[in-house]
Amino acid sequence: MIKDNILNDTSMENLSIHAKEILLEKNPFKNFKIENYRYAQLHKNIESQSDTVKSPLHKDLTKLTTDISHNTFANIDLKPTIDKWGFSNSDSFFRVSSLVHRTSISINLDNFKETSLFLNISNISKNITIQKKDPQLKTLVLLNYNCDDETPKSLIFNVAENANLEVVHYDVSNKKSFLYFEVKQSNYSNFNFASFQSNNTHIRNEFFSSLAEKCNFELSGLNFNNFGVNDNYSFIQHVKPSSSSREVFKSIVNNGAITNFQGKIYVDSIAQKTDGYQMSRSLLLDNISKANNKPELEIYADDVKCSHGSTVSKIDQEQIFYFNSRGISKEVANLLLQKAFIIETLDIIQTKDIKDFSIKLLDNLLT
Amino acid sequence: MLNIKDLHVSIEGKKILNGLNLSINKGEVHALMGPNGSGKSTLSYFLSGKDGYEMERGSIDYNGKNLLDLEVDERANEGLFLAFQYPMEIPGVQTSFFLKTAINSKRKHHGLPEIDALEFAKLIKSQAQELDISPDMLRRDLNVNYSGGEKKKQEILQMSLLNPAMSILDETDSGLDIDALRIVSEGVNKLRNKDNSFLVITHYQRLLNYIKPDYVHIIADGKIVKSGDFSLALELEEKGYEEISKTA
Ligand SMILES: Nc1ncnc2c1ncn2[C@@H]1O[C@H](COP(=O)(O)OP(=O)(O)O)[C@@H](O)[C@H]1O
Ligand SMILES: [Mg+2]
Repeated sequence: MIKDNILNDTSMENLSIHAKEILLEKNPFKNFKIENYRYAQLHKNIESQSDTVKSPLHKDLTKLTTDISHNTFANIDLKPTIDKWGFSNSDSFFRVSSLVHRTSISINLDNFKETSLFLNISNISKNITIQKKDPQLKTLVLLNYNCDDETPKSLIFNVAENANLEVVHYDVSNKKSFLYFEVKQSNYSNFNFASFQSNNTHIRNEFFSSLAEKCNFELSGLNFNNFGVNDNYSFIQHVKPSSSSREVFKSIVNNGAITNFQGKIYVDSIAQKTDGYQMSRSLLLDNISKANNKPELEIYADDVKCSHGSTVSKIDQEQIFYFNSRGISKEVANLLLQKAFIIETLDIIQTKDIKDFSIKLLDNLLT
Repeated sequence: MLNIKDLHVSIEGKKILNGLNLSINKGEVHALMGPNGSGKSTLSYFLSGKDGYEMERGSIDYNGKNLLDLEVDERANEGLFLAFQYPMEIPGVQTSFFLKTAINSKRKHHGLPEIDALEFAKLIKSQAQELDISPDMLRRDLNVNYSGGEKKKQEILQMSLLNPAMSILDETDSGLDIDALRIVSEGVNKLRNKDNSFLVITHYQRLLNYIKPDYVHIIADGKIVKSGDFSLALELEEKGYEEISKTA
């Protein structure tokens, strides 16, 4: 009953602390050590949400393809294949390996003449393998929204030697969603991954990456969590010498939402001259939201440069005062500071149209 | 313009301003001088409306309004401006965007439409040039990795763009080399007219050679102990704060 109220009252204005606490009760990780996020029992999470709670990104995403010129963009058409196999009924934690039985779709991005490609993965339940062999940069936009079910999805990226690939992922599921990404990079390849998430339910994204020699991998994450639970897990393995990885994860949490981030950089003993960087920052907009950030390093080589950092903070009232003293209202100052907090996550997007679109999307999200 | 009467202000129970009286008319430039810790910044913060101060007694009239009835942003949009002693760094917010937002907030408050993009570009270019601020700096994040001098110039740029009726400059001269001091002073002098007023807070007489005040006040322990004209600043330079406060 109370939960229904919460879900229907998207403005949250009149929500009592008590009601929010009930929501917090739903934190699936309450009784787990942070180390165990991976093995969280997903079925214990918030019950499937009503469709009325939609992320503000929805309407933007549905317009997406009409907004951008069609010469350089193409849609990759995959028929939705829904097999009603979700993790809501499963009794124990979900293992990615159980996805394997499903048939796999393979997409070779070099077969498309366009430089940017859209792939709607919302209702695809097959494994998807993406190939990129050519050095010419391509941008793949992944859309995950309006899902009809909660089937976990897996995407595997094979980035060949010297290949360049950029992925921009918009995740605005209004149902529970679980995405598993695996990146296999061969020597001298470059891969950028930007993931923008806005959810009111429970979404979880896992990023596994394995880097060969002289590769670059950049991962930018942003989640704007206004209500449910959001998990991000990343595991970046440097298995050959002289590759670099850079990861920046930002989250803005509000209305009693919970965000969890756990990220590990692993450096094999032969992976000398590795350059690894990881930063996770969370911005709490109220007193009842929560952020758990856990950065980890596991290093077996002795000649490497690796650093990580993590912060959880609130909007700086001194900064708000500075804006106010220049005539800018509290409301506007708040929005601008939120935008300032997340803007860095857009830096890695190289395709201008996609970057501009992302900025617009985030603007709409914050207002 | 600004009329402060018997102002008593404390921070966390500690009394800082102790019966301060100050009256500034249109077109006047007042200098406020005093040793460290005498309450100069407290006065300027309190006037701008910052949180954390308790007023025990007194009144402040600003252009016929009770200043204390106005929120911080309303005060600014009604023409009150504080050039901070320590300007805030705002990572992630581009300087020129911040300036535009501030200008438009004021215009909105006065029922005007947003500034035309071209007009803004011209305005900011000419004003920045006068203050020797490079276009590159306007593209950078506000006050981030600015030198001390650049931050102060940025405050003066904001002041010129917002064209306030009542400007308070809190130790704008501190940390400035002689060239920057001259540029900043010229910026202030250019703005001076018969309709606006300035309260120039400083520790040293040096600045007042460039910005000639109509009145000079000396503050000690949270109240004004002596007022006079420019010659008071010279006298202060000669005798020092202690001597002057004694003869007060
Ligand atoms: N936030 C604060 N909390 C406690 N004491 C303060 C605070 N700000 C200023 N003070 C005290 O108030 C007095 C006046 O400070 P201030 O106004 O900064 O002086 P000035 O600007 O003249 O150097 C000092 O004794 C200072 O320590
Ligand atoms: Mg001071």
